Amino acid sequence: MKKSEPMSESYFYILLCLAKGDNHGYGIMQMTKELSGGDVVIGSGTMYGAAGNMMKKGWIRETMSEGAGLERKRMYQLTEEGRAALRAEIARLRRMLENAEEV
Amino acid sequence: MAAEYRTSFKAYAAWNYQGEIDDLNRASEQGWQLVKGGCFHSRFVKNPGVRYRYQLDYGKIGDMPRYLETFREQGWEYVNSTWNGWHYLRKLYDPSLPEEEYEIFTDRESLREMNGRWVRLALALGIILLAFAVFYLIQLIRTPQLSALVRVLIFGIESAVLLRGAAVMRNPDSGRRRAKTNLAVFITVILIGLVAGCVLQLARPGFQTNQQASEIDEPIVDNRWADFQVYYLDLYYLDLEMESRDPMTFAVVNDAGETVYSVTDTDFSEEDIALRLSRGHYRFSMSCESGYRVDCSIR
Repeated sequence: MKKSEPMSESYFYILLCLAKGDNHGYGIMQMTKELSGGDVVIGSGTMYGAAGNMMKKGWIRETMSEGAGLERKRMYQLTEEGRAALRAEIARLRRMLENAEEV
Repeated sequence: MAAEYRTSFKAYAAWNYQGEIDDLNRASEQGWQLVKGGCFHSRFVKNPGVRYRYQLDYGKIGDMPRYLETFREQGWEYVNSTWNGWHYLRKLYDPSLPEEEYEIFTDRESLREMNGRWVRLALALGIILLAFAVFYLIQLIRTPQLSALVRVLIFGIESAVLLRGAAVMRNPDSGRRRAKTNLAVFITVILIGLVAGCVLQLARPGFQTNQQASEIDEPIVDNRWADFQVYYLDLYYLDLEMESRDPMTFAVVNDAGETVYSVTDTDFSEEDIALRLSRGHYRFSMSCESGYRVDCSIR
């Protein structure tokens, strides 16, 4: 298995938001802002690109929300691979933090 | 009242797209709102009642509905795209919102990705232009001439500009030191160069001629065997091959009757004989005493 690279902050927060449940782009951007206390902002260009890349990697997939017509929204859903990638990243961050605390 | 329109003919180099964004924001502040953005000209409508902030994106959009939805959700309005893949986006300006609300790429990775898409294209184009420059440089070294010099300069300069642009765009941190090259100037220079190179090339004489006689009874002199016009001072190249039983003479003579080149031999073969000729009319002349064969061409 190839060594996973550190994830960008945007990727990490997108996956983290989706771990709480399916969400649409705007919801993810809002939640990210709240979770990080305003430190992490995801712009629309970054969101579109990151979602596209993560769909290619198979970490997330697109679904449609319930409802009809304009009510129907494009949603993103975390896949098993995405959950595994997020867990691996959290483990990596935890190890780094532990290492830092030992010093 | 009819709407008031304005067209701006300002072109920006790709690596100076931030300059274009700044200008669009300034125009909006002055009441001119973008209707359609373009590489060479942009159209604006007068509307002092609103104020927008603009952003540019580059590249092929794989999933346009998802793209539009992602931007719309955050208050962005898609204006239009250009033929070569730039996308104009804008958002109503609200002074109470923080500046980061008007960014579309909020991390280095995605900004690099966007820039990278253009860098790849610029590198490919720059390398093609550089290959042309090298090709004509070899020609210039082997057979110096004005048309090759013009082409080396044009392709050399343009590839340098493009490759430098790629380097600037590749490193977004050099933001303040962005090169200011006007796209219209870039394209005009390459067009003028291409046309100038072709005209200079086409104005050169270019023909091949030969003559032979296995036996002749009397010595012959052909004073005006073939002639050609030279339009501008440059080096021209003669390929000559001749064979004869007795020594024969081949000469290039100008209109004043002066010999600019001559050779007398029984067996002679040489390529790329450089002749420095000024504007005027020239002719080939030859004389021999016995059977002969001559092949020659001038470029």
